[in-house]
Amino acid sequence: MMRNVLVIGSGISGMSCALRLAGQGLFVTLVSPFPSERSQSVMAAGGINAVLEDNDEGDTVQSHVEDTLKGGAYLAGEEEVRGLCEHGGEILKYLESIGTVFSLDNDRKLSKRAFGGQSHKRTYYCGASTGKQIVSSLVMEVRHFEAEGRIIRRLWNCFHSALIKDGVCYGALLYDETSGGLEACYADAVVMATGGQNALFGKTTGSTQCDGYTQGMLFTQGVKLKNLEFIQYHPTTMETGQKKMLISEAARGEGGRLFYVEDGRRVYFMEDKYGEKGNLMTRDLVSREIWMTKKQVMLDVSFLGEELIRRRIPEIMELCAKYGGIDITAEPIPVTPSVHFFMGGFAVGIDHETNIRNLFAVGECASIYHGANRLGGNSLLAAMHGGFTAADEICGRMGGGGHPDLDGYIKDQKEILEKKGKTESRFPVAYIRDLLAETMQKDLGIVRDEKSLDNGIADVDYYLETAEKIQYDNSVMPYFNYSLIGILTLARAVLTCAKSRRESRGAHYRADYPKTNEELAHATLISYDDGAYNTRLEV
Amino acid sequence: MKVKILRQVTPVSEPYWECFNYEGPMDITVAGLLDHINYNDDIVNDKGESTTRIGWECSCLQGVCGSCAMVINDRPALACETFLGDCKKDEVTIRPLRKFPVIHDLIIDRSSIHENLKKTSVYIGELMQGEDRDHEHQYTAAKCLKCGLCLEVCPNYKNGSTFYGAAFANDCYLVYARNKNKAEDIRRVYGERFGRGCSKSLSCMDVCPMKIPTIASISKLNRG
Ligand SMILES: Cc1cc2nc3c(=O)[nH]c(=O)nc-3n(C[C@H](O)[C@H](O)[C@H](O)COP(=O)(O)OP(=O)(O)OC[C@H]3O[C@@H](n4cnc5c(N)ncnc54)[C@H](O)[C@@H]3O)c2cc1C
Ligand code: FES
Repeated sequence: MMRNVLVIGSGISGMSCALRLAGQGLFVTLVSPFPSERSQSVMAAGGINAVLEDNDEGDTVQSHVEDTLKGGAYLAGEEEVRGLCEHGGEILKYLESIGTVFSLDNDRKLSKRAFGGQSHKRTYYCGASTGKQIVSSLVMEVRHFEAEGRIIRRLWNCFHSALIKDGVCYGALLYDETSGGLEACYADAVVMATGGQNALFGKTTGSTQCDGYTQGMLFTQGVKLKNLEFIQYHPTTMETGQKKMLISEAARGEGGRLFYVEDGRRVYFMEDKYGEKGNLMTRDLVSREIWMTKKQVMLDVSFLGEELIRRRIPEIMELCAKYGGIDITAEPIPVTPSVHFFMGGFAVGIDHETNIRNLFAVGECASIYHGANRLGGNSLLAAMHGGFTAADEICGRMGGGGHPDLDGYIKDQKEILEKKGKTESRFPVAYIRDLLAETMQKDLGIVRDEKSLDNGIADVDYYLETAEKIQYDNSVMPYFNYSLIGILTLARAVLTCAKSRRESRGAHYRADYPKTNEELAHATLISYDDGAYNTRLEV
Repeated sequence: MKVKILRQVTPVSEPYWECFNYEGPMDITVAGLLDHINYNDDIVNDKGESTTRIGWECSCLQGVCGSCAMVINDRPALACETFLGDCKKDEVTIRPLRKFPVIHDLIIDRSSIHENLKKTSVYIGELMQGEDRDHEHQYTAAKCLKCGLCLEVCPNYKNGSTFYGAAFANDCYLVYARNKNKAEDIRRVYGERFGRGCSKSLSCMDVCPMKIPTIASISKLNRG
């Protein structure tokens, strides 16, 4: 049986996997630069989907499956999605059993709300901080296993690369901030749980810790990626100097209206085009419509009155006052769409294994359940379910067969890092990352076409060429330096996938191919073959 | 505006002050200011000397992850929700939390918070709720960011001491409320590691970014 597992990333998916492994007697090393409280998972606000026994009238697991498949424009596998949805009830029960503080209704039953794209109310939540409450309870449970010595946390450690030979993974090289060097960690299995790809786009709604490096790096080590062109934009965010803060759908759910000003009068463009419910259309449609106005769009809730605003959307009121100096009871909020969620990532099978044996991926870094677009509330469910599923698969496997000689690879990587780090170069990595974000926002925006994608590819190729040549900026953390090429490589792969999909589907909208083409109703797979980025449809 | 930062290259090197000039909008946060200073092609201090980029930690940039806790104009606060305009001085002083070992510049090692909870077995185990569920307070207590601001401001907390501070007390309360079989054990460690040492200055509540009423956890645990 397998004994030692390395889990990289300690957000909800990493912790759920670690817990399930430790609960079955395995030893887990849980790696992340910072504690779980700092992961993006704590930012999830809205809720987690499941069909429980006290379901909304008429709701069934089958309708959750159908909503998810439909939301994903039929690119996700039905069997995988069914596994996810069937697991919802057990996952919610588990979370309750470890002390997650869910919101309760008057009968002290778990409260649920409606989320976009779903036929029934099935999103369970914890006030306005669902992710944080789940993280808090998982952290406590992980602590339980830490105390028993079954889970060891390695903080201040970042993934460098995997130890792979002949299609099998034997562990990973980690960069340890405290010792300032690379360390080889052998394991029977490695689980990637490193989250999304925010750094490709600079300002997003999410965490700066999600940079996509692991996907880019492993891609060059032979791991296949999937559906990278599908990036969910959230239509309403408030832009500040450093980020785009999510203004929850609840604002529109309560009646908020989108408009822009033309010739001194308000144009309620969504209502004009789609009727009364126009403001509540799907995330990608609203994002696209906002983009197409080419104007500063505003979201007005002031007419709802202070009393209702304070009662129903206090967190939006607080956020806008704090970061935008806006009193939403009196004035509208300037909003802009923002990159929010990545449907693409590591290509994994139903057991969450990648094409490399014993290398698994879970949570937002894996691409499996959301197809071309994700339903709100499904990603927290997927983070939990993926973690459990990978763990169960690992527990049933034979292991302990030792590892081949990888000393040559390890020595080379140590030497490269040492040599590159010994320079006085000041060429800022942040500068290239800023350029990349600018390119991606411009050329891989809400609406794409062949020309913009070609421009993006040419730019990223140039950044890659530059990055290969430059030495490290020794005034920032080495991880920031060595991760640059991986991040750029992933960006190049994302652009390539977007170029290869000549249709519009889900979150991917091509101005030059605005229609959906049924012949292309398959996921995109991309692989790195001797420096070439090769895509194909998964048929 | 002058920006004065207490810096330190490695965990064992000497700390030193370095000043920077900032001429930009005042409606940005201290986190924005640090990015502004760092993301110039060349970073120079107020003497015009080129220097190294300032190390600091961030993740959410909207006050929900606790990464960016530091001391700003003598007040422990989150950099991403402290606005320059509110600093009310033409100088801003920034230094790392001093109750934790410095890793580099403003980056500190707060693992003692977790370690203290771990070695005293502060985890729920099996959920066995008592009658009084205090749902709302449990929700608020579980929002603790483990940012360390409450420990920085606490007159009784020192790194490595046997008094573990407010973050500890709130997690104790969560276990106490959620597993009645463990309630007595938890009250005992709570007493040893918190109850006995707390002088109730309650400065922890003033600086808590989640506004956790630690006093409520204290009174529930004291009452038993
Ligand atoms: C504002 C916001 C609101 C959201 N609301 C909802 C919601 O209501 N419902 C819902 O279902 N989903 C929501 N989501 C999405 C959801 O939060 C994420 O999909 C989910 O939390 C991802 O969890 P994860 O464990 O995969 O990754 P994360 O929580 O992102 O964790 C990644 C971990 O990997 C570590 N890591 C990263 N790179 C490395 C590296 N190189 N080496 C080592 N470790 C590394 C990080 O430090 C971190 O510990 C929201 C997202 C945002 C941004
Ligand atoms: S960066 Fe998360 S609290 Fe400041």
